[in-house]
Amino acid sequence: MQGMMGVFRELDAATDAVRALRQERIDRITAYTPTPRHEFEEAFGTPASPVRRFTLIGGLLGATFGYWIAIWCSDYWPLVVGGKPIASWVPYTIFGFEVMVLIGGLSTVFGMFANARVPRLVMTVGYDPRFAQGNYGVYAEGTQQQLRSIEDTMRRAGAVEVQGAR
Amino acid sequence: MAMRNYDEPVVDAALRRPNIASADIQLPAVRDYEQVDREIAGTLAPSFGWFGALGVAILLFLWGAGVWIYQIYWGLGNAGYAPPVMWGVYIITFVFWVGIGHAGTLISAILYLFRAGFRTTIYRCAEAMTVFAVMTAGLFPIIHIGRPWKFFWLIPYPNWRLIWPQFKSPLVWDVFAILTYLTISSTFLYVGLIPDIATLRDRERNPVRKQMLAVLSFGWRNSDSEWRHFTRAYLFLAAFSTPLVLSVHSVVSFDFAMALAPGWHTTIFPPYFVAGAIFSGIGMVFTIIIPIRKFFNLKHYVTLNHLDAAAKLCLFTSMVVGCAYLMEFWVAWYSGNEVEQNYFWNRVFGQWWWAAWIMLICNCVLPLSLFSQKLRRNTVWLFGLSLFINLGMWFERFVIVVPSLSHEFEPWQWTHYAPSWVDISLLVGSFGWFFMWFLLFIKQLPVVAISEIKEIVPPKMRHAHGHHGGAH
Repeated sequence: MQGMMGVFRELDAATDAVRALRQERIDRITAYTPTPRHEFEEAFGTPASPVRRFTLIGGLLGATFGYWIAIWCSDYWPLVVGGKPIASWVPYTIFGFEVMVLIGGLSTVFGMFANARVPRLVMTVGYDPRFAQGNYGVYAEGTQQQLRSIEDTMRRAGAVEVQGAR
Repeated sequence: MAMRNYDEPVVDAALRRPNIASADIQLPAVRDYEQVDREIAGTLAPSFGWFGALGVAILLFLWGAGVWIYQIYWGLGNAGYAPPVMWGVYIITFVFWVGIGHAGTLISAILYLFRAGFRTTIYRCAEAMTVFAVMTAGLFPIIHIGRPWKFFWLIPYPNWRLIWPQFKSPLVWDVFAILTYLTISSTFLYVGLIPDIATLRDRERNPVRKQMLAVLSFGWRNSDSEWRHFTRAYLFLAAFSTPLVLSVHSVVSFDFAMALAPGWHTTIFPPYFVAGAIFSGIGMVFTIIIPIRKFFNLKHYVTLNHLDAAAKLCLFTSMVVGCAYLMEFWVAWYSGNEVEQNYFWNRVFGQWWWAAWIMLICNCVLPLSLFSQKLRRNTVWLFGLSLFINLGMWFERFVIVVPSLSHEFEPWQWTHYAPSWVDISLLVGSFGWFFMWFLLFIKQLPVVAISEIKEIVPPKMRHAHGHHGGAH
C-alpha cells in the first residue's frame, strides 16, 4: 500500500495531523518523534502497552525457577546438619527474588522488542533521519484515492513537507 | 506595617534555582533539539587528553593483570594472608567496587521513579559507572579463590560430578546477586542507549560506522509505537532495579553477617551496607562527572543545580552512614558482650585506630561541609571531597574485614595484617581496568542521555501552551 510522509516542525501540528487523519478513518498511521511525548499517545488514543504482561509472566516464572532450583538441588544432594531443614525457604528467598528480577527484567526487554517490532533489519518506508533530530513525522497509508486527501490534511495541519512514500 | 504590592512581579527564588528534587528541571542555555544533538555528539571526538588518560589506565590494568598471572603461578601465599586473616584486600576491594556500582542504579532507577529531575543529566554516566564497577568487583572473588579456572563450580548446572552448589552459602547468594545485578544494570544501560544510538546513526556520514550504529540501535526509528513500549519497559526495568539495588548489597553484607566473628554477626549490616554503597557510589559519580562536565564543555547540561542536589544526597547518605557507625558502638555497649566491646575499642583506639579514623574523618566529618551551599556549588571542593569519600569508603571495608579477623574471640587468635605488593598491585590494576572501560565508553557512546535531555527542552509549538515534559 502507498503512503504519504509529512514532516512537521511543531509538535502540536504533528498531533493535529494525527487527529485529523484518524477522523478521516485513516487507520495505518505512524508518528515519528525524537523523544517520547504524551501528546501522541493522546492523539492516537492507544491503550497501555502490553509489555507489563511479559514482565508479570517473566517475574513469576523467574521466582518459581529460583525457588525450585535451590529446593531441587538440596533435595538431590542433601546436606543433613543437626535438625536443620534440608530445604530452607528463608535463604532460598534470595534465589527466588534474584531470578525473578533477572527473568522478569529480560522478559520486559523481550516484550518491548516483540511489541515494537525491533530489531528491524531494514529502515521502513516513511522514515526520515530528521525524525531522530528536531522534526516530527507522520506517515499514513491509504488507497490511491485517499492519498490526495491525506496530503491535504497534513498540509492543513502544518506540514512543511509532504511526499509520497512506498 | 508595610503593605506588599501584589501587582508587582515577584522574582521567585525558585525560578533562579528551581526545585530539581522534583521533575521541574530547567536547562536555560539549551535552546533546541539540534543543539542537544550537536553538542552531545560532539563529545565523542577523541582528544589528546583522552588518549593520555586511556594510556595510563591501560598501563595500570596491564600491571595488575601481570601481577595476577604472577600470583596464579606462585600461589595465593603472595597475597599477604596470614591465618586467621584470610580475607584481605581482595574482599575489601570486591565490596568497595560493588558499592561504587550502587549509585548508578540508584540515580537511574530509584530517582527516576521518584521523578527527581537532577538525575537526567548525570544518570547515563552513573549507569555506565555501575556496569564497569560491577565488572571490576566480579573479578575479585575469582582472584581470591586462587584457582580462578574453577569459579564456574559456583553456578548450578548439570554436570558429570553430580555435585550442586551449597545454596545455604552466602558465596552462592553472591553469585546470583552479582550476576543478576550485572545483567540487569547492563540491560538497563543498553535499553536507554538505543534511541541515542539511533540519533548518532542518523547523524553519521561514515557508511561503515553508520552501519555499525544501525545494528547497535536495532533499527530504531523513533516511532510512536516504539516509544510507547519503550517507556513502559523502562518504567518496569526501573521498578525491578530498585529493590535489586537494595538486595545486592544486603546479600554482600550477609557474607559477613552470617559469620560468627566479632563485629560481623549483626542485623544492622544490610541497611548499613546499602547506605554505605550509595554514599560511595555518589562519591565516585562526583569523581567522574566533574572532570567530564569541564573537559566535554557540558556545564550547561550538568549544571551547578544538579551538583548541588547530588551533594545534598551525598550529605544525607553520609549522615546515615555516620549513624550506622554510632549504632554499631551502641549495639556493642548495650549487648554487654565483652568480646564485642573489646573489638570495637580495638577498632577505634587500639590496633586499627588509623584505619578507623581515616574512615570516620573521610565519611562523616568532611562531608558535613556540604551543609554549606557555597561548597556544594564549588566543583573543586566537590571533586576533592569525592576523592576523600572514595578513600574513606575503601577504608570502611578495611575496617569491617580486617579488625574482626585479626581480633577474634581468643587472645591467641589476635594477630596483625599487612597487604603485600601483590594485593596493592591488583587494587591499583582494578582502577586501571575500571577507567579503561569507562574511558572507552565515553568516546563511543553519549555520556549524557540525548533523548531524555530533549524531553526537558520545550518542543516547538504553533500554539503556545504550557510545557509538560516528555512521556518518559
